[in-house]
Amino acid sequence: MTSRTGLPLLFALLLASWPVRADAQSQKSVSITPVQSLSFGLLVPGIRGTVRITDVSRRAVVALAGKGPVDITLVLPSSLDSPTGERIPLQFSTGDAAFLNADGSTISTLDPLQANRVTLRNDRTILFVLGGTAVTATTTRPGQYTARVTLLVNQPGT
Amino acid sequence: MNRTLRLVAALGMLAIPTLAQAQSITGSIAASATIQSVFAFGAPSALSFGNVTPGTAATGSGYIPMQRNIGVIYSMPDGNATGALTGPGGTIQPTYTCGVGTTSAAITTAFANCTSTSALFTVTAASVSGLVNEWVIFNGSLSAAQTNTVPGVYSGTIHVLATPN
Repeated sequence: MTSRTGLPLLFALLLASWPVRADAQSQKSVSITPVQSLSFGLLVPGIRGTVRITDVSRRAVVALAGKGPVDITLVLPSSLDSPTGERIPLQFSTGDAAFLNADGSTISTLDPLQANRVTLRNDRTILFVLGGTAVTATTTRPGQYTARVTLLVNQPGT
Repeated sequence: MNRTLRLVAALGMLAIPTLAQAQSITGSIAASATIQSVFAFGAPSALSFGNVTPGTAATGSGYIPMQRNIGVIYSMPDGNATGALTGPGGTIQPTYTCGVGTTSAAITTAFANCTSTSALFTVTAASVSGLVNEWVIFNGSLSAAQTNTVPGVYSGTIHVLATPN
């Protein structure tokens, strides 16, 4: 009889676990929305071009939304490349990235070469901004150079 | 009964790993730059024959620097009138040799003539590997017969057209 009375209790416990699971999944939904590209603009050969994270018109901006802690890891390109294979080396260092609130206030400055953790909340969007330095040479040919920065957003398990 | 309990317990355990599963997403943003073309003449150095004694030959030299990181086509838009001097005795057309130099001191690549409105010197962009500094140099000469004329100041302008290539 004890086991008979225990069985409904176990079912009840099991069923009770499903809403918890669904809730946990909704907490894990994170969105990445690219807002602005990293634009070095017009560069003169032989002169380094730096985009600071305070440069609102040229820095890269990505909006992050969701809930809970997330780890942001960047796959940074080593160079900007032209369609004909010419290269402009890129440099990134500590302070070339930051988390901002939607109003532009700084949460923290970051090292883009490392994984960085931020806690997202449902009621706010966090902006990830990125700058960097393009190192041109006097031999750099005129033209358009491009690259892509990849963001890996990992939400650790609970 | 025990089998049912075990099944229920197993189902319950299956839910737990799902809770602990990490979630990863990726996104990307573009990065770009445009390298500026450099293509500009610098300050010219005038070609001066100086004070010329009538009836004697005279020479002079002048140049204009050019800085570029792309190709170029040089031509003389004034054609046969390039560098003609005008003064009290009328127009004098000096004889010129011209070309580009790696310094301002000497022509290293001479143009076929200094009066053609067509391309006299062509460099393609593909052959330019960086910033080039060069000088377009004109060497002029006046014959004794040309200087045997009415005294006064004779002046003119040498127009050099550089077209990006």
